[in-house]
Amino acid sequence: MDEPHSSEGQAGPIPAAAGIGLRFPHHEHVLKARPAVAWFELHAENYLGGGRVRRTLEAVRRDYPVSLHGVGLSLGSAEGVDLAHLQRLKELVQTIEPGLVSEHLAWSVTGGHYLADLLPLPMTEEALELVCRHVQQAQEMLGRRLLLENPSTYIQFPHSSIPEWEFLDALARRTGCGILCDINNIFVSASNHGWDAGRYLDALPAEAIGEYHLAGHAVCTLASGRIVRIDNHGSRVAPPVWALYERALRRIGARPTLIEWDTDVPEFDVLLDEAAQAEAVLRTLESSRARAA
Amino acid sequence: MPALLELQRAFGGALLAGIPPDEPPSSAAAPPGGLAGIDAQLLDIYRNNCRTTLTAALALSFPAVRHLVGADFFETCARVFIPAHPPRRACLNDYGDEFPSFLAQYAPAAGVGYLHDVAMLEWAINRALHAPDVAPADIALLASIDAELVPALQFVPHPAVSVLHLAAPADVIWRAVLDEDDAAMAAIDLAAGPVWLLIERGAAGIEVRRIASGAARFTQRLCAGDSLQAALDGAAAGDALEAVLADHLASGRFTAWRVPPVQIPTGENRP
Repeated sequence: MDEPHSSEGQAGPIPAAAGIGLRFPHHEHVLKARPAVAWFELHAENYLGGGRVRRTLEAVRRDYPVSLHGVGLSLGSAEGVDLAHLQRLKELVQTIEPGLVSEHLAWSVTGGHYLADLLPLPMTEEALELVCRHVQQAQEMLGRRLLLENPSTYIQFPHSSIPEWEFLDALARRTGCGILCDINNIFVSASNHGWDAGRYLDALPAEAIGEYHLAGHAVCTLASGRIVRIDNHGSRVAPPVWALYERALRRIGARPTLIEWDTDVPEFDVLLDEAAQAEAVLRTLESSRARAA
Repeated sequence: MPALLELQRAFGGALLAGIPPDEPPSSAAAPPGGLAGIDAQLLDIYRNNCRTTLTAALALSFPAVRHLVGADFFETCARVFIPAHPPRRACLNDYGDEFPSFLAQYAPAAGVGYLHDVAMLEWAINRALHAPDVAPADIALLASIDAELVPALQFVPHPAVSVLHLAAPADVIWRAVLDEDDAAMAAIDLAAGPVWLLIERGAAGIEVRRIASGAARFTQRLCAGDSLQAALDGAAAGDALEAVLADHLASGRFTAWRVPPVQIPTGENRP
């Protein structure tokens, strides 16, 4: 990763390589230094307006493959999808033509209010039908396939009746959407709920998985003494998450892999270092798969 | 088993219910109806995420206000503001339009009389930063409009443009605070009288400029959708408003204009 990135248009499909989640503190550095990064992912909601922020996204898009990751569509809201928001997202997607567009298996809007977090859904047939309807609606409106990210959760609803991995599998089969397999989220949720993270991963349909996410999480002890893992994207990827990533690569294969860091965002070099580690794991596993084949 | 709609309403209500700042962060109270069986401490994680994200969004849009009152006081304000005015859209750059008026009513902040004005300015700056890109009106087309119709013209302002009338010199306070310029802060005369400010997005970034009261009132009325004639009414002779309008058009502060349909009596509706 020594060569600076060429300024020739690199826009296009997202390669099965390690990319970095681009956040505001690194905009200037990326525009000036054009570091060698295989691709960038940006949060769609931060770029819905115009001006300097939009110019930055356009400049990044000219030189790198770009994925747009939505955090506000609230596909799990019983009140339905905000069509005005979907329309703004459509305009952004049409202008930027990102290599991938993704969203979350979660909800954020109720009573007409946006609660600024990815909230957990009960895993029920009602929720599955509703999310399928909204994913289809969004895919039709955007005119393209979405990837849906598995959530990190702290709560399980007592009336949930479908295991999360089966929910995702059914969602992908019924709507044709892909799955954004967040390895850290699997580890966090599995730890919090006493699931087997490896079995969760093994149960996901490999052909539907279009991207991996890797991030750090925090470990908290509640007043009750209960230990909870919190998906804060505020540190390096934890060793058991790297191990789970290797397992994913072995079973599912190489996919675009993103390093995410949102809390106490470090120097860009730290992100490059994490991306290099992911890249090394990808290449090692890829060559061993090739040998095996 | 609650239906999804009921469960989400209960969950949202529990998140926004908020906790008064003097209580310990973990509420031991049982979750509200529809959330039976849910550990209240786990609900607190979501409540905390919600509040932290929204407080950070407000801090990003109101940096000078935060600096003036201090981070702790700002967080306390946010804890009261957020449950009363949760966002209505998923784009957090749009969140906080009600924050200036909230601050004006917020009793603990009453000691800082100019806080509302600084917040108004910061909100206009935030709007200018994130407004959509809209092409300016094509001035050449203006020549083709029948001279008789010109007084009735209504203009559409660029979404990045604001005109503010503020009692305090919010522009100099804002600059001194963000530059951490104590000397400039000490030199501010709060009794100097009201200011008119024009806020817009220029090629080099956000511009905040004082403008004369005549030009400002005229501009404000045009931005509000008044006809050119109505905006000119009551102007003083020395205001040179033709030049002001020409400057607005040349600077791309209007994106379109509208000629109201001429009322031609048809006789059908006459008594």
